[in-house]
Amino acid sequence: MYIKKYMTVDPCVAGPETTIARASELLVENNCRHLPIVDKETRLLGMVTDRDLRSACPSILTAVQALTPEQLVVADQPVSRIMSRDIVTLSPLSTLDDALLLLDRKKVGALPVLSDSGRLEGIFSTRDLLQAYRQLFGLGERGSALISVRDDGRPRPLSRLVRALEEHDIHFSRISRRRDEQGGTAVESGGGAVIYVRVNTFNLHAVRQALESAGFTLENQGL
Amino acid sequence: MAEFQNIIIIDSPVYDNHDTGGGTHPETPERVRAIRERLNSGPLASFLKWVEPRPAARKWLMAVHDESYLFRFEEAVLAGQTWLGHQDNQICFDSFDSAVMAAGAGLAGVDLLEKGAEKLVFCPVRPPGHHAERAMALGFCFLNNIAIAADYWQRVYDRQRIFILDFDAHHGNGIQAAFETSAAIFYASIHEHPTYSFPGSGYAEERGLDGGRGATLNIPLPPGAGDDMVLEAVKEKIGPALENFRPEALIIAAGFDAHEQDDMSGLDYSTILYSRLGGWIRKWAGQFCGGRVLSILEGGYNPQALALSVESYLAGLAYDKM
Repeated sequence: MYIKKYMTVDPCVAGPETTIARASELLVENNCRHLPIVDKETRLLGMVTDRDLRSACPSILTAVQALTPEQLVVADQPVSRIMSRDIVTLSPLSTLDDALLLLDRKKVGALPVLSDSGRLEGIFSTRDLLQAYRQLFGLGERGSALISVRDDGRPRPLSRLVRALEEHDIHFSRISRRRDEQGGTAVESGGGAVIYVRVNTFNLHAVRQALESAGFTLENQGL
Repeated sequence: MAEFQNIIIIDSPVYDNHDTGGGTHPETPERVRAIRERLNSGPLASFLKWVEPRPAARKWLMAVHDESYLFRFEEAVLAGQTWLGHQDNQICFDSFDSAVMAAGAGLAGVDLLEKGAEKLVFCPVRPPGHHAERAMALGFCFLNNIAIAADYWQRVYDRQRIFILDFDAHHGNGIQAAFETSAAIFYASIHEHPTYSFPGSGYAEERGLDGGRGATLNIPLPPGAGDDMVLEAVKEKIGPALENFRPEALIIAAGFDAHEQDDMSGLDYSTILYSRLGGWIRKWAGQFCGGRVLSILEGGYNPQALALSVESYLAGLAYDKM
């Protein structure tokens, strides 16, 4: 669950004296939107985003040849003049949850990852977060299906469910339980938690029988 | 005047020999036995012509599968292994022969469609094929019968544009993988949404790769979807895709496990829906492919519902008033 496994190491970086024009080229060349600005020891000085650069360069409709003298002056300015300096950072020991909360609270697209000594180790973006959760949830994992089971309200639902699957030799890779919106588990009132299981088998018929033997029913997850 | 076309059924007793070990395994010989019994005793019996297939030659299998995988499969059955790759894929001593004969049915069907007078061929084969990939057995499938037939049709008879429609409840990942970079073989599939269903592929987002971009069409349906949603997908998406692609040959991956009485999917199709699908397919075949259609069985695990659904499909395919 540490971001170290999912972050981009050795991201594209620039020095503070890099011009705005060159920084724009770097983002395009490296197909990224965030540019950490570092000193010679790769200590983080600031961040420049494609939005910062667009704000500095007024219009994409202006061809390079037609830049006015004023625009040429802007393009030639160092990025240190437009970079953000008050940066929230992650460490390699930050977890995916840390990153999710920070990205959400700060409403930014990526966060730099710094070592204890303040050196840039990587960058972690919302896209990296999506990839990480995609792996964790097994999205697109070949040969699997996500089934949902209604928690019957009796004690120890997860251990009973796991035991039933294992006793029937049904492979599964993920299991999670979600309480209903009211936080209750009363099945009689139509509430109750739902247990999601990613089963790694095509034999849904056997899955259904295993669950029924333990008193559960497979839910149809229809609209 | 209403007319009922004859249908060639390509069948072999070898299909019954693939033993999946009993217990709760749903891919049983009962499936094809129930189809045989129903077709022989039902109202279609006099319009059916039963033909034996031949085993598929290795060169046709190797167009779709790695030779090392074919050896691995063959050696596994000879060595008495009980499954290949995953316990879902149960095998016995005869499974390799059954699978090669299942692949051979498609080839025999293509030959008959190209050289004979009949226009409609149905192959009630097992084991099924659409989940099998180049070097991987998956979801009860070992050899990709449809992909092998499509490649054969293209290479032997120079039919350059082939449209494959898969209405099994599950996405045919193996067929898609075989042709996803090809612009000449179009794969369209209507299936239960991959978030909830095996094999976990077939998102609408998957539209083909590289030169084959646009020649894959996935239509995932939510669990509980029934006839109305299928017919809407057929009318609004499959039909226009065919019009646009204008195929020279049409192959149907005919799976019947979306039936309301089949517990292998959350879909809720009626028996009569398969007649409607058959009717659409006959119309498209007439419009683009001289009426020729090759249909190969995929899933369908409630033997009685399967047999009735197959009958319903064939009736829709053969009878122009359905």
